[in-house]
Amino acid sequence: MDVTIKILRYSPEKDERGHYETYTVEAHENDRVLDVLELVKGHKDGSLAFRRSCAHGVCGSDAMRINGKNRLACKTLIRDVGTTLTIEPLLGLPIKKDLIVDMEPFFDNYKKMLPYFINDDPLPADGRERLQTPEQRARFDDTTKCIMCAACTTACPSYWANDEYYGPAAIVNAHRFVFDSRDQAADLRLQILAETDGTARCHTIYNCTDACPRGIQVTKAIGEVKMAIMTGKV
Amino acid sequence: MGLSRNVSLPTALRYRGPAGYLTFILHRIGGLGMALFISMHILASFVGGGLGEFLNAVYESWIFQIFIFFCVFFHAINGLRIVILDLFPKLLEHQTQAIWIEWAVFIPLYGFAVFTILKTAFGG
Repeated sequence: MDVTIKILRYSPEKDERGHYETYTVEAHENDRVLDVLELVKGHKDGSLAFRRSCAHGVCGSDAMRINGKNRLACKTLIRDVGTTLTIEPLLGLPIKKDLIVDMEPFFDNYKKMLPYFINDDPLPADGRERLQTPEQRARFDDTTKCIMCAACTTACPSYWANDEYYGPAAIVNAHRFVFDSRDQAADLRLQILAETDGTARCHTIYNCTDACPRGIQVTKAIGEVKMAIMTGKV
Repeated sequence: MGLSRNVSLPTALRYRGPAGYLTFILHRIGGLGMALFISMHILASFVGGGLGEFLNAVYESWIFQIFIFFCVFFHAINGLRIVILDLFPKLLEHQTQAIWIEWAVFIPLYGFAVFTILKTAFGG
């Protein structure tokens, strides 16, 4: 079948602003949007730029707006989105070229969450793992699934309006450590998230949860962090 | 070098978000509508005269009343949903159902208000 694909193109050397270009390629209904982009790059226009790496929904490189909604190109089948596609880069991050956005502001916000294990206690007597119960693990299981694709953060109107807002992905990754019984820096992270650009900027719009390709309950995680800030209990 | 990150209002409105995105937009419209109504009310009392009477006539018209009742009811009911979900984050898993309940409460309530406004305006 023929697939018509309209792509927002931008080249910093040639363009002052973005413009759309349309291509038609032959594809199968079980092909993914990433396959169609590869066909365009391989057979129609080699100058098309987009990120991809694992191509199996794990690395999170190929998040983009597909028919007006953030998705991973490698997890989106043609049969689910139709044969007329509009592909645009993520919103709220500067565009470097075509579908490639500058992820630095996104990772800067992530780093503010201290996204690493903090525990100064000596190792257990056996020198091995710090144990936790299945219930303790279940508290943050959902948020361990984040692949940092930025689909949630760049779907958030609060982030579009203000990139000082840490954004859903950063809060999800803070949640992963705040509710980990082995970590000891929950208070510190909650203090950071209680600032003006923290969870207070979340308006429960739900775009983030809808956009997450891993099915993480992003809004719920933010809600739990908000409650932890309010009550002081994790 | 690259294109700016700024997201224009038309671009933002074109994003195909879930039901919660529509309620977010309507919530903002509701808030702005109420601010407009209050501003007109204060201004009408403050300036008086011909302009005051004109402003009074605008916000007392049945069209404006239908608009302002939408703003007030929607803003209040949607705000209540958000407060409940904020207080009980576990319920956020059922966000979609919460929005259906919100519409189920809003539609009859607003429908009754519109019916009453129109009946008063045209039925005497």
